[in-house]
Amino acid sequence: MGSITFSHVYKHYKGESRPAVDDFHLSIEEGEFLVLVGPSGCGKSTTLRMLAGLEEITKGDLYIDGKFVNYTSPKDRDIAMVFQNYALYPNLSVYENIALGLKLRKTAKHDIELRVNRVAKILEISHLLERKPSQLSGGQKQRVALGRAIAREPQVFLMDEPLSNLDAKLRAQTRAELIKLQGELKRTMVYVTHDQVEAMTMGTRIVVMKDGVIQQVAPPRKLYDQPANMFVAGFIGSPQMNFLEGNIIRQEGRYYFSNSRLKLPVSEQQYDQFEQSARTLRNIIMGVRPEYVQLREDDGSEPDDGFVRGFVEMSEMTGSDAYVYVKIGEKTVIARSDPETVYTKEQKLLVGFNMNKVHFFDEQTGVSLAAGGDER
Amino acid sequence: MLLRKLRKITAFQAVLTSCLTALAVFMSLPIIFIINHAFKPQNELFLFPPRFFVQSPTFRNFESLILHASNATVPFTRYLFNSIIIAVLTLGCVILVSTMAGYVLAKYRFHFKGLIMSMITLSLMFAPETVGIPRYLIISGIGINDTYFGHILPALASPVAVFMLVGFISQIPSELLEAAKIDGASHLGIFARIVLPLSVPAVATISILTFQGVWGDVETSTLFMQEETMRTLAFYVNSLLSGLQNSVAGQNMAAAAGLLMFLPNLIIFLLFQKRVLETMVHSGIK
Repeated sequence: MGSITFSHVYKHYKGESRPAVDDFHLSIEEGEFLVLVGPSGCGKSTTLRMLAGLEEITKGDLYIDGKFVNYTSPKDRDIAMVFQNYALYPNLSVYENIALGLKLRKTAKHDIELRVNRVAKILEISHLLERKPSQLSGGQKQRVALGRAIAREPQVFLMDEPLSNLDAKLRAQTRAELIKLQGELKRTMVYVTHDQVEAMTMGTRIVVMKDGVIQQVAPPRKLYDQPANMFVAGFIGSPQMNFLEGNIIRQEGRYYFSNSRLKLPVSEQQYDQFEQSARTLRNIIMGVRPEYVQLREDDGSEPDDGFVRGFVEMSEMTGSDAYVYVKIGEKTVIARSDPETVYTKEQKLLVGFNMNKVHFFDEQTGVSLAAGGDER
Repeated sequence: MLLRKLRKITAFQAVLTSCLTALAVFMSLPIIFIINHAFKPQNELFLFPPRFFVQSPTFRNFESLILHASNATVPFTRYLFNSIIIAVLTLGCVILVSTMAGYVLAKYRFHFKGLIMSMITLSLMFAPETVGIPRYLIISGIGINDTYFGHILPALASPVAVFMLVGFISQIPSELLEAAKIDGASHLGIFARIVLPLSVPAVATISILTFQGVWGDVETSTLFMQEETMRTLAFYVNSLLSGLQNSVAGQNMAAAAGLLMFLPNLIIFLLFQKRVLETMVHSGIK
């Protein structure tokens, strides 16, 4: 119960040259917490709205539980949705808000009461049941909206950026509660967000979208470690992954990443992607995350193999970490460093890269040279 | 406590408050006069210099008004009954039609929506006199002269009301309607459970406007009704007053009729004014 299949789904709005959702092809398993993430306008909300039945599907088939639902009305899809602005009925009390869906489905009155009270207890909003939505705080409204979804006990939960109107602290707290709740309910959840932290912490599988096209589908760890392309690599992770342009050259059976400033020996674990790849090894982008950039004091001597000279442009302290912006030639590289170490502006440093953890992308297509990151 | 509050009042606030209070008192003078006038006995009505407040109030004026019958021997109560029926029915129908039309125009996508909207806007520009003859042709064409429907139909399509409601309903977030859709509400269910309750402030406003229009309207009675029994209170009062000219005899009835015509407007206004002031800000959507 609660499995979803998108079969080559398109959404084309009238008067727009490009489809809003372009060949969305994906199976979602029962009980999965799937997160759709991407910048605004990438089609993630449209996809969710098509799944909810609020938006027509231009082309392609949609199945919920194996049933073809393209033309099924939202109320018959056995889904519940939580909206970004909560969409609580302002004229109804909290109790009535939660109960309305049940009432419209002709649930017996005592059963409604039982379910509403149970949901209110789970979400700790029992004391608010008599109030009107206008008398609630943002966090409380959020809970009521969630309660309204849960009370119906649908097969699939759809969430459209439900946390984005909350303040940072409450957001983190609610995030944890949502994860817990999903674990208890064991229902399929499809969650839309533009926040990559939310996506990484909540999803069992993440779909990264851009311009209506799926970029990659993978569990959080895999998405982070094996981004399928430069967009995913840049979108996931904060601060952003560093990208350096250069070529792969081969000397005496060894591969090097090199450009005018540096020549870095590629780790042997990464050799197979060059050997298998039919692509030319020119115009390659090397991506490296800030945590895999090492900083060392410059003692003036000739740098070791794999290290390159740079100087500090600025540094940011976040508390647990510090991020140092190091200028190497024209290029700025961000490195995560120990917050205890103080770097001064213009300070000369040696910058090294953990070559086991770098990624190589084709500059033209942006696609990763290493295959196998996608799990559709 | 009071002293501290007083100290907070600036000179500007004080001037503003006193000016507005004076204006409010001045504006309410006619209302007070109408009420007092209706209860004045004949001798007080013609007192010179005229008095503002009634000295020895009496119900004689109402008595003679109610017992007075028009030339066609139709009793006063028949006119009153007609007016109440027509006002209630028209109000109900206008609210229903305008909210439904407003909802559809504000929230649905369909062909010729722009055309329909611009026709409504266009019809706002016509003075009522210009449509008098076409209206008569329609009413007599479908044969509803001398029926209540003949009173109601001309007021039914109210472009002002639809226009106001389109503006108001389009402010209701679409997510709310989508949430109701997912919750399992039908189109009518969404309208009745969500849209209508949320449009109450706008509905209150159009209720006041419509009621005032219908209650004081003599056009339908004059043009579309040949039977005296189908005419309204407004028509009766109007003909009573114009028949009186400057004669002394009917002045007491005129005074009572004046209050009777005014009172329902006041009641409707007092009932709905609080609702009118309630804006979306207070309804807690955001």
